[in-house]
Amino acid sequence: MYSMLALQREHEGAYAGALRCLLDCQNPNGSWPCFIGDDGEGAWTTALALLALANHFAEGASQRKGLQWLLQSAGKESSWLWRWKFRTSDRQVRFDASKFGWPWQPNTNSWVVPTAFAILALRHLPCAWSVEHSGFRLERGTEMLLDRVCPGGGWNAGNGVVYGVPLAPHPDDTAIALLALKHCPEESAVRESLAWLESEALTLWAPWSLAWSALALAAHSRCVARLLNCLADRVGHIDMSDNATLAVSALALDSERFLALLSS
Amino acid sequence: MTMTRREFLATVAAVSAGVTVSAPFFRPRYRIDRRPGRSRVVLLRLENYSRPIDELLFLGLRLFPINVQGKTVLLKPNLVDYIPGNAINTHPRLVMAAAEAFRRLGARNVVVGEGAGHQRDTELVLFESGYERELQLHNIPFVDLNRDELLRLRLGASYTDLEYLWLPKAVLASEFIVSMPKVKTHHWSGVTLSLKNMLGVVPGNKYGWPKNILHWQGIQQSVLDVCATVPIHFVIADAVIAMEGNGPLNGSPRPLGMVVLADDPVAADASCARLMGFEPGRIPHIREASRFLGNSSPVLIDQAGEVLRRPEMPFQVVPHFQHIRAI
Repeated sequence: MYSMLALQREHEGAYAGALRCLLDCQNPNGSWPCFIGDDGEGAWTTALALLALANHFAEGASQRKGLQWLLQSAGKESSWLWRWKFRTSDRQVRFDASKFGWPWQPNTNSWVVPTAFAILALRHLPCAWSVEHSGFRLERGTEMLLDRVCPGGGWNAGNGVVYGVPLAPHPDDTAIALLALKHCPEESAVRESLAWLESEALTLWAPWSLAWSALALAAHSRCVARLLNCLADRVGHIDMSDNATLAVSALALDSERFLALLSS
Repeated sequence: MTMTRREFLATVAAVSAGVTVSAPFFRPRYRIDRRPGRSRVVLLRLENYSRPIDELLFLGLRLFPINVQGKTVLLKPNLVDYIPGNAINTHPRLVMAAAEAFRRLGARNVVVGEGAGHQRDTELVLFESGYERELQLHNIPFVDLNRDELLRLRLGASYTDLEYLWLPKAVLASEFIVSMPKVKTHHWSGVTLSLKNMLGVVPGNKYGWPKNILHWQGIQQSVLDVCATVPIHFVIADAVIAMEGNGPLNGSPRPLGMVVLADDPVAADASCARLMGFEPGRIPHIREASRFLGNSSPVLIDQAGEVLRRPEMPFQVVPHFQHIRAI
């Protein structure tokens, strides 16, 4: 799915092959699996697949089925029973359970990255705009990200505080959340997180974190020339065996095209 | 003996709490019994990581009748995330010393594999924790278990409702698995030792970061199911600088100056728990594992090397695990 986002239409054969593969592996319930051969219940990859298909108007039926599944998928804390449990007995982690997003896997809690990917998909999938429930989920998902921010800015995997201790933010989680919150630049959580990421990104060298940071900072109109130079240098010098990292690096090095997709 | 109403209610509450904690474990839910007749644990003194480790570890391993000749050995350290100054991860020098020792013992391949539970950028955590440089220096391959090819496997026990898990091919293809935990307290499971360390083989690409499905199924139950499915053949535990308090990430370093070797993960964890000043029988997954995965009773453990002494002051733990402290 990352590769599909990174591939340009000029790479005709590879692009068509990736599209065919993506459409063929959609589950009967509308979701997408984590990998070919996976169980059919669906996962976080559904949002990524929908984002990759956002501009494929011919694939409306596939998009609508996927959208339906995505709108039904929610963190377990969205049910009143678990909200009550988190408010009363399970209070070691600090978060507002009424603000929920999307899980990695069905029947688990909301987490930052799958929620951010789902927000990006809902914002950029044309067939989502006319669905009323989509607005409600976007609102709750955005609130969830703002609620889970680490003290001082940035995002960890989920909560910002556990057992009274602030967690350290991760560059990639922070960058993906900032991409999803591109439309909320006035929020203090976004401003603080941008400041944190801008400073942290200068110390990064690992392509995955570097690429996501460049994409997020560029989306928020920050200068990323230095980061892209560093990324290009790294990509040219290391043996990258992970397809996802390679694809996200390619996407960052061609960030204008990706940002155009996010602005559409 | 008479009992006041308050004492009676307190007793009922305590028994109920005990039943609630133990209830999931009352009925045996395992299909195999891997307990050896006797287990061996060796404690090696190592004051800090700059001391020579290679020879110490090699001599320590020679105290066990292990045969890795021609085998693929997987070293599974605890590599979760990196926070400067926190004793979170198994020290890379100990892992490299283990790799060299297994090579000397005739292993065909030695690989290091981990699926970091919090940090998704594997290269970042390898670099920051000092692994990348050491792996290059020793020419040891690393497998990112979060992103490896997966195979579906029926679980060897049913303490959770999962029935099966998708597990990395690199783990399932290994002929000798060495769990190399960092000795730490854990705010959800009491301790994280060689058994709990194996949750790191569950792939993030499928199950997420963290592997939240295991939390919802119960960490103690998940540990038992994973360890019943993926056998641990040997343990090398890093208790040189351990962690107490709010582990596994935000606790405080606690020097113990020890490396724990064992041919039985339950014996290893029971011994580590005693080194931490805990009562292993009060830690649900160790207690239950002693019914089918190994021995926790000192009577069944042959102890060599340094003397196992409980610390004067047990490790600090978060409030709801105070009861595991032996004093």
